[in-house]
Parts: sequence; C-alpha cells; structure tokens
Amino acid sequence: MLNFETTVQDSKSYGDLTLSEMEPILKINLRSNKREFSTKIGKLLSIIPPIEANTSSSNEDYSILWLSPDEWLIYSSNKISYEKQNLLEENLFKNISNINQGSVTNVTDHWVMINLKGSKIYDLLSKSSPYDFKNFKMKKGSVAQTLLNHTDVILHNLDDNNLNLFVRRSFSEDLWLWINDSARFL
Amino acid sequence: MFIINCPYCGERDQTEFSSGGEAHIVRPKQPTELSDDEWAEFLFMRKNIKGIQFERWNHSHGCRKWFNVVRDTSNDKIHAVYKMGEKPPINK
Repeated sequence: MLNFETTVQDSKSYGDLTLSEMEPILKINLRSNKREFSTKIGKLLSIIPPIEANTSSSNEDYSILWLSPDEWLIYSSNKISYEKQNLLEENLFKNISNINQGSVTNVTDHWVMINLKGSKIYDLLSKSSPYDFKNFKMKKGSVAQTLLNHTDVILHNLDDNNLNLFVRRSFSEDLWLWINDSARFL
Repeated sequence: MFIINCPYCGERDQTEFSSGGEAHIVRPKQPTELSDDEWAEFLFMRKNIKGIQFERWNHSHGCRKWFNVVRDTSNDKIHAVYKMGEKPPINK
C-alpha cells in the first residue's frame, strides 16, 4: 500500500533561497537492458531515456533521469492527481513489464521531492556533499546521485540556480531539518 | 581520501563507494568435492598486499554498479579502473 503522507509538507525561504516540497508528483523507476525499451518509452511518453551518464531528457510533462546504465527515474514536471498517476503507471506496466521488456515500479511514496531555488543553493549543498558541482551547475538537465549530509540524494539541475532534490521518504525529515538549519547560516 | 573514476558516472569521492574486497576470485566448479581446507581457502583467505592490489568496488551511493579497481595500497594511487567481466588492463 502506497503511503503518500510525507513528513515535510512545507516551504521556507532564507533571503533569496527558497525550499519547498513538491507534491503530489509522480515518480516511476524503470529498469531494462532490452533494445526495444527506449522506443517503447518514446512512444508512450514522447521522450527517450538518456543513454549518456549524469544527464536527463525532458518534455513539458515528464523528465527521465539517468540513474545507471540500465535504470532511470521518470517524474512529472507538474503536480498530478493520484488517479492520473495510476493510469500512467498501468499503461507503462502493461506495455513494458507485462511483456518482459523491463520493470516498472511506482516509487512515488519512496522519494520526496524538494525544490531548491536561489543564488546560494550550491553553497548550501557544498556544505556537506563530497560532489564537485562545477560541471553540474553549468549544464542544464544534469543529474547527480550523491550524498548530502550522509544521506543519499538525486539532484536534477532544472535551470540556473534551480534544482530538484530527491531524498528517500524516511530520511526526508532529517535532511529537511539539516537543510533549513544550514540555510540560516549562508 | 581519494578520488575514484567510476566507469559509469565519472570521477567521484571515495565516500560514495564501498569496497568489495579482492577481485578475480573464481568460485570452485565442484564445491562438494573440495576438502574443508580448500573451501575455507576460497571462502575466507584473502591477500593483504602492500603494493598493487586488484579489488572490487561498488558505487553504492551513485549508480550502484560493481567494477574493478587496481590500487596501490601503500599510497592509494589508482592505476586502472575497469568494468566487471573485462580483462585487467595491467598484468596480474
């Protein structure tokens, strides 16, 4: 049973830095190493899963993030009702999982998405991440899976000084408190 | 602390990885025919070299893929990184 109750449900701003949890957002994990998989996804969502590491592909409705050579994360660009989420998941499941082209897993309740905006977001992240953000912030659409305050996160660069951060639901409250605490001292 | 060049994601800090011990240990084809000593040798005994060592590493906080690393244990210098199933670029 999916649990959509998130622990954050908040929005905060510190100077020009704004932090807010975005929900309800659809998140689906895809795994496949089959050749026809990319064309199938292309037909269903009108985006091709990226092959190049640390990149993403997006259209108006969805983004697909590269997680590993055979794993991707789809998420919706806008808030989307649970009924619509179920329809899309069923559609993907029918066209991919059911015919052994890969696996489709709804991870909406697994990840919490926090949007970070502002000129100091990389100062904030660099406080407790071993990742070098130099190339990441230059390239729109880049994706990084790394650690932030000892917690696994996925980062998606949307635009200059605007990114989405995915954190596991059980760690989200802790990370949210840490982000808020650190943001006060920027 | 050192930087590891993940063959899938690129250069990342060591804290994102976890070590999986010595690489290229082949599981015996007929475990039931081995003596206890031979089985223990395969299961537990690992080299602990000061110098060039072949190791398995996992990018556990990134792409979660396994790969092999040739590392000098005396100074943590990484000589080569290669994917699972590939031949070592340096003679073993």
